[in-house]
Amino acid sequence: MTGMWAIAGLLAAAGICAAIELPSLAGHKKDLWIFTLLLLLGTPLSIAAALKAPIPNPLDWIAAVYRPIGNWMKNLFE
Amino acid sequence: MNDNGKIHSRQLMVLAFLYTVGTTVLIIPAGLAAIANQDAWIGAIAGVAIGVIVVGLYALLWRLFPDKTFVGICKAVFGKWFGTLLAVIHMFGAFIGTATVLFYVGDFFQLHFLPRTPFAITCSLFALVVVMGVRMGLETIARASELMLPWFVILFGVLVLTLAPEIHVDRMLPVFESGWKPVVWAGISFAGTAYMPIVFLFSVFPRVKSPDKAWPGMIAAALIGGMCVVLITLLCVLVLGPNITSRSMFPSYALVKKINIGNFVQRIEAIMAGLWFVTTYIKTTFYYYSWVTSLSEILRLKNYRTITLPCGMIMVVFSLVVYPDVVYWQRWDSTVFPPYILTLGFLFPLLLWIVGRWKKDRSYETGRKT
Repeated sequence: MTGMWAIAGLLAAAGICAAIELPSLAGHKKDLWIFTLLLLLGTPLSIAAALKAPIPNPLDWIAAVYRPIGNWMKNLFE
Repeated sequence: MNDNGKIHSRQLMVLAFLYTVGTTVLIIPAGLAAIANQDAWIGAIAGVAIGVIVVGLYALLWRLFPDKTFVGICKAVFGKWFGTLLAVIHMFGAFIGTATVLFYVGDFFQLHFLPRTPFAITCSLFALVVVMGVRMGLETIARASELMLPWFVILFGVLVLTLAPEIHVDRMLPVFESGWKPVVWAGISFAGTAYMPIVFLFSVFPRVKSPDKAWPGMIAAALIGGMCVVLITLLCVLVLGPNITSRSMFPSYALVKKINIGNFVQRIEAIMAGLWFVTTYIKTTFYYYSWVTSLSEILRLKNYRTITLPCGMIMVVFSLVVYPDVVYWQRWDSTVFPPYILTLGFLFPLLLWIVGRWKKDRSYETGRKT
């Protein structure tokens, strides 16, 4: 039940964002596209977060690259 | 990418100062005490020493390209493709910074002030204020931070003076027990949290009036900010002791709970927390500002304000995702973050400075020959 409310709230928030920005974007095609894309990325992501669906964690990607270096540095200084 | 007006060099000093203190003062004493125990404060001083070198490097790079943001510098030095790649990595770093710092703030609020409010709501409300500030533009934030500075100074002064009687000097003994290695490591992690994120202020630098006069002030402000954090770390060790410091999530807040004036004025930490509201606000705002302005410059948008609202949504979502639990948080911050921020905040600027310098010299030489 709270999930439904969260979704409704997030959709309303996305609507408010669009209502604020869209009028000023009428002439700028590229800006309009980027804004729409980002909003279409942000809204489903936030709904997924509200429903506690798994979202990929960018820190894992960084850790995949840097953890070996970090462990090496840590061992060097201990 | 048009923004209202320019900021003054004094405003940049205030920004750099509050940005350096930022979330560092909230979390770093714990990490330092975990690495170097009672020598945490020596590690912090080592961090300030490393930090001055790092900020000096930024000043050199800034003087080389006084009118360009970091994205602009990348493109000017490495051309369109490789430059854009570096700029995207830089922008991603700013995004990671925004999400993690917003998590710290949300976690701090949830742990100490609003335990029953859902985490997402706390983060959203804080993010709303950040987005509002960024939408109003750099000049507005700069002036707001000038207004916040006196409050910060007053609260900081009260903190140091009222805690002076609680100091137990024996807690810092034996001095330098752990040797130089943990101290250097603590210094790197200090500089990584306090100073290397200043690389994200490159989105602000081109908007500063008369950069030639501004850069010494910036270094001085960063130095003073670092010394404030050194002082807090020292107080944490002397008042709480290294064990409690390393075990607390937000040791400087635990520190403020110790304030006791004549057994009458006690538990004033909620007022003192104004200190961290100010500094974490500035830190989050500039990570976020750097993220959206870099993104809009990479995509060559007309105005960065266009993307602030959806980016704000994304920022809140990822602040919920980045640290699934405390163990993950501590492990990531202690092993992954230092090399990551070293790449973004030291290797990249160094590379850009060396190559940029070489290119400018060469164009000067060829310009003289013809």
